[in-house]
Amino acid sequence: MAESAISIRNVTKDFPVGISGKKLRAVDGLVLEVRDNEIFGLLGPNGSGKSTTIKIVLGLLEPSHGECAIFGKPSRSVAARQRVGFLPESPYFYRYLSGRELVSYYARLCGVNKDKLDAAVDSVIELVGMQEAAHRRVGTYSKGMLQRIGLAQAIVHDPRLIILDEPTAGVDPLGAAAIADIVRELKARGKTILLSSHLLAQIEGLCDRVAILHRGKLVREGRIDELVTDPEADCLVVEGLDPAGHAAVQQVIEAKGGRLLRIEKPRLSLDAFFLKEVHQREREHAVVSADQEDYP
Amino acid sequence: MSFQSPRRIRLIAGNTFLEAVRQRFFNSVLLIALALIASSTFFQQFDFGSSELKFIADFGFGALFFFGSILAITVTTQLFFNEMENRTALTMLAKPVHKFDFLAGKLLGVQLLMLAFTSLLSLVLLGILFWRETGLMGQMGPDAFSEGRMVRYMDILTFGFLQWLKFGLLSAVTLFVASFSNTNIYTIIVSFCILVVCQLQYIAREAYADMAPGPARLLVQGLGLIFPNFQLFNVGDQLLLTSQEGLPAVTVLQISLYACVYIVAFLLLAHLSFRRREI
Repeated sequence: MAESAISIRNVTKDFPVGISGKKLRAVDGLVLEVRDNEIFGLLGPNGSGKSTTIKIVLGLLEPSHGECAIFGKPSRSVAARQRVGFLPESPYFYRYLSGRELVSYYARLCGVNKDKLDAAVDSVIELVGMQEAAHRRVGTYSKGMLQRIGLAQAIVHDPRLIILDEPTAGVDPLGAAAIADIVRELKARGKTILLSSHLLAQIEGLCDRVAILHRGKLVREGRIDELVTDPEADCLVVEGLDPAGHAAVQQVIEAKGGRLLRIEKPRLSLDAFFLKEVHQREREHAVVSADQEDYP
Repeated sequence: MSFQSPRRIRLIAGNTFLEAVRQRFFNSVLLIALALIASSTFFQQFDFGSSELKFIADFGFGALFFFGSILAITVTTQLFFNEMENRTALTMLAKPVHKFDFLAGKLLGVQLLMLAFTSLLSLVLLGILFWRETGLMGQMGPDAFSEGRMVRYMDILTFGFLQWLKFGLLSAVTLFVASFSNTNIYTIIVSFCILVVCQLQYIAREAYADMAPGPARLLVQGLGLIFPNFQLFNVGDQLLLTSQEGLPAVTVLQISLYACVYIVAFLLLAHLSFRRREI
């Protein structure tokens, strides 16, 4: 059996509150396994313990009880972080560095060799689509660009595990879709991705498995299909039926022992509709621009 | 405890230095200090000779100590809390970087900044003294300078070096306070209080010399050990003029060693306290 990328065993984290000796339990007996080469979504409302869990995985916090390991190594050890990339929520970077200098700085901190440095930096900057802005100062970047350069610094040392905390927070739907594409590409390259997000529609289209936390406890965990599918019902999508056809179908269903629960029009998600429309306009705009170039 | 990577410490130090020299605060303090030293020739006492040169040197040494202390405390605090509040420390420490590397890198970065500050001020002071002494030589004639120049210029650089070590010690103390403090104001206030205690520490030393053996004497002696004695670094009077006996090289070495031991001790204390801090 393949080694787990992340193994969280009965982890509890208490924070002291004031000087009264009271404690606030942020994570409560959490047991979780993230398998190698999967995209795993960590869901939960604010204060559910997602960020604390991520910090424990990164070795930035010590659990009060329990253990956490990354590819078999205790997460507190610096060696465990050698193959981990991390993008924090709402990242803030050194404003006076250019995007390229920033990625290069983090690459060197992670021990990327000098002879491989330029190639590694160029490669991730291209992957996140920041070639044109790479020489600009980080202080001039938009929110979406900050997230993308943040993603570049997280993967520049070719980690096996990538942890993304709200990678699309504050990013427009186009930017969010671009980040989702990068995450899929990383999975295709054999990486494991742990993703925390509030954008459930995006998680649904991206993650292999999810875990839902509430008040520090694991509420549910599993494949998205298993969690959201109603095993008792089927959905038929048909085209071109008139009301008489509807009645006939209903009769057949009832004759076979089934029950027609509702008839409704299939809907696109608003995300998908928005992206479809914008991409269509972009294509049209590109065609018009090309025509104008042909006939100046 | 593991002292992992000199390379990472160097990288963090380089970035810290870059961040620090871009701060308006550093540039303002540097300009004010330079202007003050340059203006010392306008506040001179008009009895020409060694006393005028001594006045300029004292003025320069005072400016170096005053502005250097302010800079060492505030810049260390600012650079540390910038990393915490902007959460760039979170991104950095999520990488294979030891917390010790982070602290040592910050301290080294501040030391580089203080080296630039101290060198610049010392060189300007040296230049002004040389210019004034040359002028005096012209005005007073060769008889007044029959034994050569009055100022030992190389010793001004030695004095600058010792001040730089003192600022390093002060930065290490500030980093230790920052490692357990939650606000930068608290860190700055406590560090300035410690600076005053360290400056006046010789009083405690004199006090316990007169005390009878017992717990009180042990207490005062202990406090005298915990807080470094900054008076040891105030050797400007001995270094400046050729008419006085200079400071032996071995004493300079001893003072340097004294500073290094305290810097390492406070850095280790900062690490102990920072190890369990939530980022």
